[in-house]
Parts: sequence; structure tokens; C-alpha cells
Amino acid sequence: MESLEKDLKENEGFKKAILPVLYSYKDKRDAALSPEEREKERDALRKIKEYSIEHMKELKERAVASLMRNGIRVIEAKDSEDARQEILKIIGKERLIIKAKSNTASEIGLAKALRNRELIETDLGDFLVQVSGDEEMHPVLPSIHLTPEMIAKTLREKLGADVKPEREAIVAFVRVYLREKILKAKVGITGANAITSDGSIVILENEGNISLVSRIPDKHIVISSFEKIVPSLEDALHVVRCSALYGTGQAFPSYVSIISGPSKTADIQNEIVIGAQGAKEVYLILVDNGRSEMLNSEFKELLYCINCGACLDFCPVYHNLARRYGSKYLGARGVIFSAFDEGLKDSFEHGAFFCAMCKACSENCPARIDLPGMMRKLRQRLVEKGIEPLSAKEMIANTEKFGNPFGEIKKGQMPGKLYCC
Amino acid sequence: MIKKLKNLFRTENILYYPGCLIKFVGTELEENYKKILSAAGIDFIQLHELELCCGSPILNAGHIREAEEIAEKNFRVFKEHGITKIITSCPACYKTFSQEYPKLVKGWNIEVEHITKTIDSAIKAGKLKAPELNTEVTYHDPCHLGRHSGIYDEPRSIIKATGAKLREMRLSRENALCCGAGSGVKSNYPELANAAAKERVEMAKDTKAKMLVTTCPMCYYNLKENASGIEVVELSQLLEKKGGRK
Repeated sequence: MESLEKDLKENEGFKKAILPVLYSYKDKRDAALSPEEREKERDALRKIKEYSIEHMKELKERAVASLMRNGIRVIEAKDSEDARQEILKIIGKERLIIKAKSNTASEIGLAKALRNRELIETDLGDFLVQVSGDEEMHPVLPSIHLTPEMIAKTLREKLGADVKPEREAIVAFVRVYLREKILKAKVGITGANAITSDGSIVILENEGNISLVSRIPDKHIVISSFEKIVPSLEDALHVVRCSALYGTGQAFPSYVSIISGPSKTADIQNEIVIGAQGAKEVYLILVDNGRSEMLNSEFKELLYCINCGACLDFCPVYHNLARRYGSKYLGARGVIFSAFDEGLKDSFEHGAFFCAMCKACSENCPARIDLPGMMRKLRQRLVEKGIEPLSAKEMIANTEKFGNPFGEIKKGQMPGKLYCC
Repeated sequence: MIKKLKNLFRTENILYYPGCLIKFVGTELEENYKKILSAAGIDFIQLHELELCCGSPILNAGHIREAEEIAEKNFRVFKEHGITKIITSCPACYKTFSQEYPKLVKGWNIEVEHITKTIDSAIKAGKLKAPELNTEVTYHDPCHLGRHSGIYDEPRSIIKATGAKLREMRLSRENALCCGAGSGVKSNYPELANAAAKERVEMAKDTKAKMLVTTCPMCYYNLKENASGIEVVELSQLLEKKGGRK
């Protein structure tokens, strides 16, 4: 692997931008709930996730049957290509597609598959990233790196809009700009935060765009994956609460949509007619991409993830390398995920040895996922295949021969490489 | 010398295990800690080249089998010398002996203490006097000591015993930002470890403290290499500052 100097240099701006965002996030989170209350929430989430992942086979069967019964068409896709094809089939000839935040949509490379159509991101952060031609920098705060000045400049250059470089002015402009698109679209795409085994899809948001995207177009496509399935609606609301608390530091988000079928009415002679004011068709795509294999491995804890991004917020490697650390998902989680979704060898390139195992991620994870522990197991798998940094090989050889990681060393002198801990 | 030889034949010994980085590189730190332990009236022995690396870097690099081998060798040496308690000045060694060895070695029954606990207890018991310092410091929690082992208070308590004013960073204790050196990063990707350390140093400077104190040799060397405008000191250096212990 080449030196990281270039990546570090490229990410200097990001590094400067992240700390103030992290401080304000942490202050909000601390104000939302007391540490004791927060720990209670974490305990409960951990329990829900442990149970759900342990009973996933039956929960999934039950969820799929319930969703279908509720009129939601469930499609299981084994990989990204499969998922993209299924989505293209549903979209048909529609040109304009509106989309809300979905990390699974990014995972399957949806934007690329729809590059010949007009795909409009309606989450403000995603929209700004899309207009800038950038990439998402965070699962919850994709435009974490953009300042009002940068945004106003982009809006002027790309959309010819004269918007003041102020947060309020930008939001007001985008509100008007997006509504026009939203009202015209026939297909809306969202993700999901939780799916219940009794057949509901639960999505949280603050902006209101998800409510519009899931209700105004005729077709609503939900892109998600099976690890979002939990037994009950109560469990799902718990996931929602933790997502808000750890994602943005709020006690609860502005809106939660619970979608249990297409829009319908029985107002005429008490006979059900589909398609009143909301979506006429609701589809749920469940993408696998190595998750089934993960479910049966020592890495299944990764499936507890609710995508809040708190692990990244406190990660020194993410601060310095941003997108360079991870792949489709960022940070340690992204590296481990890539071993299943792309291949073990790829996880080395994505940074399997970047992690300092500082544990700031698991300390801040609402599901207490042991990312450092799994990173060590991933390294073990890589080492078994002979893949590891050269310095690690030297350190092992030194320790075997000399009993210390530095090798032959004159006491009190700084060795060339500081292999340790 | 005679006393030392006698110690080797005793059946119950306290071992001071500096950790490779302090033993081979930070010899000044080792001398400081030995002085402090002696001043606190702790009767300890050292095993020098007889003891091996604790295995922390090996474990974190994903070499489990090699770690098991080294752990067994260490356990044998410790038992041969009647070690019933290890005091270590390295957070990674502390974590490895206290949390990993019970899983790696059959029959592991040696008590492990981080030296900050030893020093803090000695100060509180009136057996050790901290130097009187009139300065302002900030403290960097080493990940292996803080988040991995839950030791946040002892180092702070020692600092406060010197009279130095402790100015906390925006991210400290459970949320302390890592210096970026651990688990092989400093040798595998030094440029990454340096960049991370610079971020932490800036945070320390924001507190307007005069000194950045830490109690991990790896954090110490990594932060020191990347610091300007603030003095980086290892806890033992703070305790052995001019004026010295009273």
C-alpha cells in the first residue's frame, strides 16, 4: 500500500470542519438525555438487536409474510446488481425519480444505475452533496464538510441561484426548489430504519422530505436489508430513538413514518380502494450483499448497526482520512463490511490496519458493537492469508527472535520504527 | 545486591514490569518510576531480559497463536520467580495482563496493577508525597488505560495532588480523542499516527494549559513528536520535576 500522505493532505479541510460539528453534536446529545438514561437506552437497544439477530431466520420469514399480506411487495436481492435490476424494473420508463436518504441505496450504487435519468436527492445534505458533485462524508450528516459559503457558491455555479451564504437562506431556497420536483415525480425511493416482523416499515426524519417522497409519488420503493428487522413496533421505536440520539443528538426526531401498506380508502361502501392520497404501490427491496454470510460468522454483531454514524464522530482515523477509511460504509464498520461485500483482500486496502483500536467507536455505539474486537478478528483472517503491513511482519519477527517488538536495540535510543502496543 | 538476590528466591514477589517501550526506549521514565516506587516503600523486583513483550502488539496485529506462545513463556518466568503481583507503567501491558492473559494462559492468577493506581494509593495513604507544582496542565487519557481499562481518576488524582491545576480538554475520559499511535498504526502508517497526534495536540493547546501530561509511553512519544507550543510530559516526569518529591 502506498503512503497515506496524499490522502491526509486531501482531507485537511475535512479534518478542520469536523471538530466544531462533533462538539455541537456531543453538546446536543449530552443535553438530550442524562448519562444514566442514555445507558438504559443502549442496554435496551443491545437486547433488541441481540434477540433479533439471534432469531433472524424466523423473524425474517414472519416479516416478509406480514408485509406481503399488508400489500407491500417484498423483493430479496442477493447482491447490488440484482437489486439495481429489480429497481429498474419497478421504475420502468419514468424519468424523474425523487429520493430520500438511504445508505443501502448508496451501498448498491443506485445513483450510477440511474445516471441517465433525473434522480433528485431530497435530503438537504444529500442534495447539497449531489449538486456539488461531491461524495457523502457521513451516514447522517453527508454534507458535514460544506460551509454556507461553499454551498452558496455551488448553488450559484450549478443552479444559477442567487442565494445568500446563510444557513436559513439556503434551506429556504432548497425547500422551494425541491417541492416542484417532488410534486411531479411518480417514483419515490427511501431507506428504512426498522422493519417489524408484523409488517411495518419505520422511517425517521427531521426534514419532512421522507414523508413527501414516500407519499406523493405513485410508487414508493424502500431499499433496505434484513438486519433492520425487529420483532415489534415498540422495538422499532426504540431503534428510532437511538438513531436520533446517536445520529444527531436529539431525544426524538421530528417525524416518524410507520408504513404498513399502500394508501387506501374504504370510504365508498366500505370496500377497499388502493391509492387515495399516498403511494399506490409500495416495494421493499432487501439487499443481502454478504449479510447472510456475516449472520453465520463471528462478525454477526456488525448487523446490530443502526447507521447512526456515532462511531465515526470520535474516530481519529476517520477525522484524518474521511472516505479513505472504509468503502461503501465508512470507518471500521465499513472496513469489516467490505470483507464480506467485496472480499477479504479488499478490506486490507480499505484500512484494516488503520484502526488504532482506541475503542472510541464502541464507547459511543448505541448498540455497543465491539468494532475493535472485530477488527482484530479481521486482521487475524488477513494474517492467515499472509496479508499484513510489512512493519507488522518485522514486529512479529523481532518479538520472536528478541522478545521485544523493536529487535536488537541500544537502550535509551529511539528505534527507526516505533512498533508497539 | 544481596537484597536483590534474596528477592529472587522469595516465594512472593511484586514485579515492576516497565513495558518494552519504557524498558528499551524510555529508560529515563523507568528510572523515574523505580525511584517513585521505592519512595513509596514498595518492595519490588525486576526481571529485565528474562521477561518478554506482553504480546499486546502481536495480538492487535492479528497473530493470536504467537501471542499465546509468548504469554505462556511469560507466565512460566513469572511463576519461576514467585511473582504474585505485577505493577506496570504501560497501559497496553496493563490491559493485556489483566484482560487478555486470563483468556490466553491456563491458570493465570497474578494480580495486575497499573502504576497510577499504586502511586495514587501511596499518596492517599501518606506514604508518598507529590511534588508541589504551580502550573496548569491538561491530561490525555491513554486508550488502553481509559476506555479499555476504566482508569480515569487515578492519574487525575495524582496530578491534583501536585497542586497543578487540571484543565480538561473538550474531549476527555470516555470520549478522549486517541493520539492515533496504537495497535501498530505508529509503525505501519506513521504519517497517519502523526496527523492524529497533531489534532490531539491542538485540542490540548485549546485548554491554554502549559503542559500536556499523559501516562502511556506510546502516547507520550507520539504526542511529543507532533507537538509545538505545549510541553508534553509523561506522568513520571511531572512527579520528578525540579524540586522533586518532598
